[in-house]
Amino acid sequence: MKATRRLRSLVFHAAAVAASIVVLYPAVWMVMSSFKPGNQIIGNTSILPETWTLENYVTAFGGIGGVPFTSFVWNSVVLAVLSVVGTVASSAVAAYAFARVSFPGRNVMFAVMIGTLLLPFHVVIIPQYIMFNSAGLVNTYVPLLAGKFLASEAFFVFLMVQFIRGIPRELDEAARIDGCGHGRTFGLVILPLMRPAIITTSIFMFIWSWNDFLGPLLYLKDPDLFPLPIALRQYVDQTSVSDYGAQMAMAVLALVPVALFFIIFQRYLIQGVATQGLKG
Amino acid sequence: MRIARKASGVVAGAAAAALALTACSGGSGEAGAGDALDTEEEITLNLAWWGDDTRAALYEEAVELFEEEYPNIDVTTTFVAWDDYWTARNTEAASGTLPDVMQMDLSYLRQYGNNGQLLDLSEAFDVNLDVSGLEEELLAAGTVEGAQLGIPTSTNTLALFYNADVLERIGMEPPAEGYTWDDLNDWIVEATEKGAGEDPVVFGGFDYVGTLWFFMQRLIQQGIEPFTEDGQLNFSEEDAAAFLESTAELRDSDAVYPIERTKQIEPLTGFMVSEQAAEMTWDNFMAGYVAETGENIEILPMPSGDNGPQQFWKPSMLLSASANTDQPAAAATLIDFLINEPAVGEIFGTSKGVPATAAQRDAMALEPGSVDEEVTQYEEDVADLVTESAPLPVEGFGAIEAEWKRLHEELLYENVTVDEFVEQWFAFAADTMPAAE
Repeated sequence: MKATRRLRSLVFHAAAVAASIVVLYPAVWMVMSSFKPGNQIIGNTSILPETWTLENYVTAFGGIGGVPFTSFVWNSVVLAVLSVVGTVASSAVAAYAFARVSFPGRNVMFAVMIGTLLLPFHVVIIPQYIMFNSAGLVNTYVPLLAGKFLASEAFFVFLMVQFIRGIPRELDEAARIDGCGHGRTFGLVILPLMRPAIITTSIFMFIWSWNDFLGPLLYLKDPDLFPLPIALRQYVDQTSVSDYGAQMAMAVLALVPVALFFIIFQRYLIQGVATQGLKG
Repeated sequence: MRIARKASGVVAGAAAAALALTACSGGSGEAGAGDALDTEEEITLNLAWWGDDTRAALYEEAVELFEEEYPNIDVTTTFVAWDDYWTARNTEAASGTLPDVMQMDLSYLRQYGNNGQLLDLSEAFDVNLDVSGLEEELLAAGTVEGAQLGIPTSTNTLALFYNADVLERIGMEPPAEGYTWDDLNDWIVEATEKGAGEDPVVFGGFDYVGTLWFFMQRLIQQGIEPFTEDGQLNFSEEDAAAFLESTAELRDSDAVYPIERTKQIEPLTGFMVSEQAAEMTWDNFMAGYVAETGENIEILPMPSGDNGPQQFWKPSMLLSASANTDQPAAAATLIDFLINEPAVGEIFGTSKGVPATAAQRDAMALEPGSVDEEVTQYEEDVADLVTESAPLPVEGFGAIEAEWKRLHEELLYENVTVDEFVEQWFAFAADTMPAAE
């Protein structure tokens, strides 16, 4: 009996290891390729470089067309941090209103907000672009951030609404009896209890913003404003000579902050998702 | 009732706003590209191109020279890679805000031109834009229905490359001068036979019928113009089938580079990994081939067809100005500077193709034996063979070209026959291309 259990466990672990090798192979290949000379990358599936070189990192750190590498990193950080701050602040307030304040048209507005989830981004690109363009805001970060500060990320609003609905109303009522209005009920009671939802939102928003490509591509023209994902594509232009080595190096460098962010916050991420069901 | 009235108010408001917007953009069109350039006014121009970081550095250098010469003009630049470039431009085109000056490709010229997005630069000829240095056939390649929508900056033409080191290893001579398409097929079979013993196995060539441009090249050599003046197909299903059948023997005898391996090494080609002896493509690929293989790459003219060895120039790149630009005169001046200024020719070398004007060609500091020198020499050698202007691709060319390539892959995988290929491609082309007026 015990032997069968051990055998099963062994088989399970062997399968898990095999699966993770398959899953991780591309990532490892990318990291190792960044140390290979440019012409040994494509068409070569081996992991270990025949010759090691740091040339690719030198190219990547050298920047693109006079724009230093640090500029891309800084832009990405600015966009990501502001996106997180804006989304968390605006979504939390909006979610509180939907969950706790009764005002005329609440249900309709909630339905409309959920409806925007069904609207693919590509449908609104052009009208949005025309709008921001006539407002003279193209080539600034405003088009990329304005929506984030106005709770336009319906997914997070919805997530937080559901979370607040799970918090017992008795807590609000107790605050009410102590003389709190909506402002203080939100700030002193609900907000501290929303920590798991806020952490989940922050993590996802950071990663989405860090990886966002289409928005910056359309709205930013000045290379000094480009974030990392656009710079990343610059090395592989099919119409001129492609530098895959530099691209791999840049990709590794671009992934480091996200990976670090994930390692630091993964505890909360898993906790956050787990406690979603516990209702505060 | 109340709601309906409100809604109509909103619609009216939106319509009024739209009118106001069009009025605004209409007002700026007063200055023409043919007006003399104002050297006092502070002008800002946007310049957009696709390309890698090397090209970005070159452009920045050229723009600096321009700003030195025209101190009142400030050029702001933007650049992304090829695919992303068109995503961004399409969005801008939808809102009528294309950059003042932008790099343009022949395959997109008609599409943007038909939508009225591009400025007819012929107004600026002899005032702000000097095109006397361009050959007539080349300049004509940038016109759509009489309007000069793009100015070619550089040329390329098709060529056959062979890897001299690989040929030496397998003991083959390159194709002889004046070789025909049939000679080429025989040569590929022989090279594949001789290369079978190599490790890795060397193939003579690839199944070239999968590239629409080679078909167009062949049609021109048969005296058939591939597209009509109003942008329709000018060849029959029989022509296409005959072209595809011409290499059927090579496919059946596995003499061409296998599709499975092609897919494995994409985006490189068999030629770039020295597993293929010869490849036909645009002559500006030479630099990439030399860099990729590190071997001795040689260049030959395309094979001769029924009517001889005619070739055509393709503008490897054009410069266009936006129809909505506030500064058409300055935009034309910038284009003029980029195509004529010898110093700009020196900066770019042949990285965008061989410069279109003699002034820039002569200004290039070509090292003997360098890739730049060989490509420039090749274009001078074949100049006599170039009797045609490039067939102007039709609207939707990018899509029909990609479909041709896709169907050819299906053909290599033996999922379709030549007849099915032709039938499906013509059906696709009929759906994709705008109907004749």
